[in-house]
Amino acid sequence: MAGWFSENGLLLGLALLDGLSYAALVFMVAVGLNLVFGVLRIVNVAHGSLFAIGAYTAASLGLFLSARGLPPAAGYAVLLLAAVLVGGVLGPVIERGVLRRVYGQEDVLQLLVTFALFMILEDVQKLIWGVQPLFHDAPMKFLGTVDVPFGEDVIPFTAYQIFVVPGVAVATLAGLAWFLRRTLTGRVIVAVTTDKEAATAMGIDAAKVTLLTFTFGAALAALGGALASPTTSLVPGVGAQTIVLSFAVVAIAGLGQIEGAALSALMIGMGRSIAVYFEPELEVVVPYLIMVAVLLVRPQGLFGVVETRRV
Amino acid sequence: MKGKDMGAPLLAARGLRLAFGGVKAADGIDLDVMPGEFLAIIGPNGAGKTTFINMATGYLRPQAGSIAYDGHSILGLAPRAIVRRGIARSFQLPQLFTEHTVLENAALAIAARTGLWSPLARLLRPGIRAEAMALLDRFGLGPLAGVRADALNEGARKLADIAMAVALQPRLLLMDEPTSGVATAEKMTVVETLVRVLRQAGVTAVFVEHDMEVVARFADRVAVWSQGRILALGPPEQVLADPVVRREVIGIEAGSGHA
Repeated sequence: MAGWFSENGLLLGLALLDGLSYAALVFMVAVGLNLVFGVLRIVNVAHGSLFAIGAYTAASLGLFLSARGLPPAAGYAVLLLAAVLVGGVLGPVIERGVLRRVYGQEDVLQLLVTFALFMILEDVQKLIWGVQPLFHDAPMKFLGTVDVPFGEDVIPFTAYQIFVVPGVAVATLAGLAWFLRRTLTGRVIVAVTTDKEAATAMGIDAAKVTLLTFTFGAALAALGGALASPTTSLVPGVGAQTIVLSFAVVAIAGLGQIEGAALSALMIGMGRSIAVYFEPELEVVVPYLIMVAVLLVRPQGLFGVVETRRV
Repeated sequence: MKGKDMGAPLLAARGLRLAFGGVKAADGIDLDVMPGEFLAIIGPNGAGKTTFINMATGYLRPQAGSIAYDGHSILGLAPRAIVRRGIARSFQLPQLFTEHTVLENAALAIAARTGLWSPLARLLRPGIRAEAMALLDRFGLGPLAGVRADALNEGARKLADIAMAVALQPRLLLMDEPTSGVATAEKMTVVETLVRVLRQAGVTAVFVEHDMEVVARFADRVAVWSQGRILALGPPEQVLADPVVRREVIGIEAGSGHA
């Protein structure tokens, strides 16, 4: 064991740091997906497209503005701006224009509609940004690297991925938990999630809550994408990969779980990352192996409760 | 005010018709609900009692007929719009928000009445908290304020559910089986509490009820539903003694174990 560690310790350290950053991104997408499902009762496959479009928008905006002399430090505001733009524009368009028409319909139809939306958005994305990789890492380079002590080794790692990405995820986690549990609007969202009919009977405008929640969830996905954009070359297909991993996170955590989603995202992120470093050919299956293992033991997810259906 | 004519009805339904497939859930319903009265609706399962409540609260739209509240048509209005005009309802299964405490449930209803959209405002801010506590105390639920709604027993759940409807300050409250599922020993206490609060608040009430003892004791008038029609309407002592009602409705009730 000690021998293995001295040989592979560095690699493990890298895997864990990479995993942390990746987990943070997956969490951002998964928590929005979960929130949206709670209120809309629709599994939105197109949620991954919002991640991708958020990433592309952030990179394009960043490139455009830095070519015009935007200071690198302002690049972080650009990431946020991209998320707000994508969520604020695409969120209402998708919810009002498409999803609203299929509420209460059969699951299969809803799934097909959001899948179709996903395909359309993928193509729109290719139309706008093409298929050549897009790369803008200024926000990551700006912060440089830090030396992370790991056992006897020191791992130089990008500060952006260690501090900014997980930092935003933690802030999202804490902010969302506070918002949903303490604020009036948060409690209204939870109320509509629990029982839309009863909320309507109280005079709550469920349609407005739905629009608000979807837009917010879309912005979270776009923010995940925007945060991811400096760390990787953007290519078509990034949305598909993200949505599938987010599904795994939501399935592992159980529906309606925020802290659970964070923990599950860590499991998936770390698991995938360790696979990438040690058994790269397993990268694709590891998240699903974790998911299957959890669901075999607890079909409702690690933290989910069995839902009772009203007659 | 037992069943006396008090002038203009608060709710006036005329010729309501609604069929689901071949089943006539409403087959020409005419009913006036007078201000201040407690009107009980009785009848076998499937007679269309809940359908009437759903039509009066905007959850179902009748295929024919009209419904007016306070002299104005409410036909075609969304449930939310009807609530805003002063008609609240409770469901057969209490629809409390199970992720919320009893206090939060009440607070939400108060917030729903006073205006919901102040994104970062706290739900349990002082004004709302005080009103919610006062409301719960009226229903004897004060000691349960901090309990999560899914941990309540059936009687308390029913009362909390109706407290939320009362928080909306309705003039008319439609209750679908307020005592169903409540243990027999608890039932009268629950009804006494809710009748006392509703009378104090001056709320007119329509309630679907299977327990004839509750009906006889608390209703000003009784409407008997049968196959989408009103079979009889009048003071309980008269209606419950009607041989047709006894045979057609109460007999069935006793037979199906509701008594």
